Amino acid sequence: MVRLYPNRCQLVGSAFISGFLISLVRSFIIDYYLFCSFQIHFVILISRQGKVRLTKWYSPYQQKERSTVIRELSGLILTRGPKLCNFVEWKGFKVVYRRHDSIILVILNLYASLYFCICIDPDDNELEILEIIHHFVEILDRYFGSVCELDLIFNFHKAYYILDEILIAGELQESSKKTVARLIAAQVNVTERCVSLAF
Amino acid sequence: MALTGMRGLSVFISDVRNCQNKEQERLRVDKELGNIRTRFKNEKALTHYEKKKYVWKMLYIYMLGYDVDFGHMEAVSLISAPKYPEKQVGYIVTSCLLTENHEFLRMAINTVRNDIIGRNETFQCLALTMVGNIGGKEFSESLATDVQKLLLSSSCRPLVRKKAALCLLRLYRKNPDVINIDGWYDRMSQLLDERDLGVLTSVMSLFVALVSNNVEAYWNCLPKCVKILERLGRNQDVPQEYTYYGIPSPWIQVKTMRALQYFPTIEDPNTRRALFEVLQHILMGTDVVKNVNKNNAAHAILFEALALVVHLDAEKEMMSQCVALLGKFIAVREPNIRYLGLENMTRLLLVSDAQDIIKRHQAQIIISLKDPDISIRRRALDLLYGMCDVTNAKDIVEELLQYLNTADLAMREELALKAAILAEKFAPDLSWYSYQFLHQFHIICSDIFQM
Repeated sequence: MVRLYPNRCQLVGSAFISGFLISLVRSFIIDYYLFCSFQIHFVILISRQGKVRLTKWYSPYQQKERSTVIRELSGLILTRGPKLCNFVEWKGFKVVYRRHDSIILVILNLYASLYFCICIDPDDNELEILEIIHHFVEILDRYFGSVCELDLIFNFHKAYYILDEILIAGELQESSKKTVARLIAAQVNVTERCVSLAF
Repeated sequence: MALTGMRGLSVFISDVRNCQNKEQERLRVDKELGNIRTRFKNEKALTHYEKKKYVWKMLYIYMLGYDVDFGHMEAVSLISAPKYPEKQVGYIVTSCLLTENHEFLRMAINTVRNDIIGRNETFQCLALTMVGNIGGKEFSESLATDVQKLLLSSSCRPLVRKKAALCLLRLYRKNPDVINIDGWYDRMSQLLDERDLGVLTSVMSLFVALVSNNVEAYWNCLPKCVKILERLGRNQDVPQEYTYYGIPSPWIQVKTMRALQYFPTIEDPNTRRALFEVLQHILMGTDVVKNVNKNNAAHAILFEALALVVHLDAEKEMMSQCVALLGKFIAVREPNIRYLGLENMTRLLLVSDAQDIIKRHQAQIIISLKDPDISIRRRALDLLYGMCDVTNAKDIVEELLQYLNTADLAMREELALKAAILAEKFAPDLSWYSYQFLHQFHIICSDIFQM
């Protein structure tokens, strides 16, 4: 997989050549991958203050790279105004993000938003991904009863269980909310049975 | 997942949140890490149940941004726990903390394999999910055959088969040899007959990957794809749970159209006609509605249909419909649609006829160049760059250079480069070119000296 890192060289000369190549590739959008890698590379949930609430990596990012990614994307996304589009271009990838404000917190006038960010390949279908985010949020809402940031802090493990029923290998696994809800309930059942047997 | 026994975790999270500053937080976290380290050292005395609590705490600390450089062994060892709650934690934390080449993962392969081929469906699901998320080449070599068996087995429930499909997709990406083409065109054809839409969603993703590498083998699947699109387009036999805001499984529709873009042509006239009917219906029948999510889903399908129409090199009439639609989109208020309109117009440039029609929208595209949203500005710049030719080069280059004066830092480099390339390529005469070049040079120099 080709990752493009724009060269920050200041001199027009060398910038010309590297920039020329980069802009050629970007302009003609013929990304040739050896294997179809239209996939989600990672999912990140961050709060308005930049605190990470969930991360899931579907492509190999080492520990240091992960911190860098989170820092860079936080800087890019958290500073975007509300009336702008939901897509950001970053290092040859696209990041689709959506801001989520819990209804309850808005009523209480508390300033807390969650940003759901998904990184995809530049040729992938952006609106489809935006709706995957919404699908995930709806399932979380259904499970927690209007999900807010506090739910995801104290029950982050449940968010991971739910995410694993929605995405695998960076692809959508199940688009029926009813089925996902049923599967999570079954998991809870098994766990509770095991716990009660243990006592 | 009950909070019984997880009280320690809740207390820890509360403690961390109550810390007044980063220093306090660090102290609290270090204390806990020290505690966990001690408990892990004394491994013989640790039950799976206790290990589970500590492993969750580790993951929480990791998410806070701290380095957790121990305990991976314990997380992986939970995978061999006999009971579901601990096993689940082992699988999930492993897939969050470890990457595919981690040495500890290798040690888990046998346990994972036992779970996959075993009879416990819940264990199978856990194993397939983890391997699908972080499986590497070694997992691919050891497990692909077993995963294939699960996918193709009629006695497995949809729950397992859909995970097997995506798990196989991952293993295929890591090692394409695991799918033996010879056997697969029949199997793929059968899989596309799948009635369960959850499984079909996953199978379609697998199909897109397979067909992108080898179209020849899967020609017989082409008519099936068109049939799927027809069925979904007419909302035939689609259970309510797979209808998203009134739209039958938009994700399957998008993926199917994506798969069709890998076939160079459609030779059978009946199939071709059926497909164009579906596409025509999408192009003409997608309205803008109030509900944001329905709108997004409908337009996701529309944009994919546009890409497919362009790929199939449809008749002139359909192409001009596409350009007309895009021309409408680049002027709407909704920023997402404007962005996608610009992006898809750039793609349309690859089709030779469209350039002239696109040039009619030049004024609107230049307005987009100065949009408050940097994502849209970038798309507008790419489009202007791509649609530039001898007839409009002068206007476009002058426009770009004028904008360079006021452009923000993030855009300047690209703006300057593209303007320079266009000026050189399409310069009508030397004096115009030298003026543009000097003008640009002046702007860039004053930038550098101001820094």
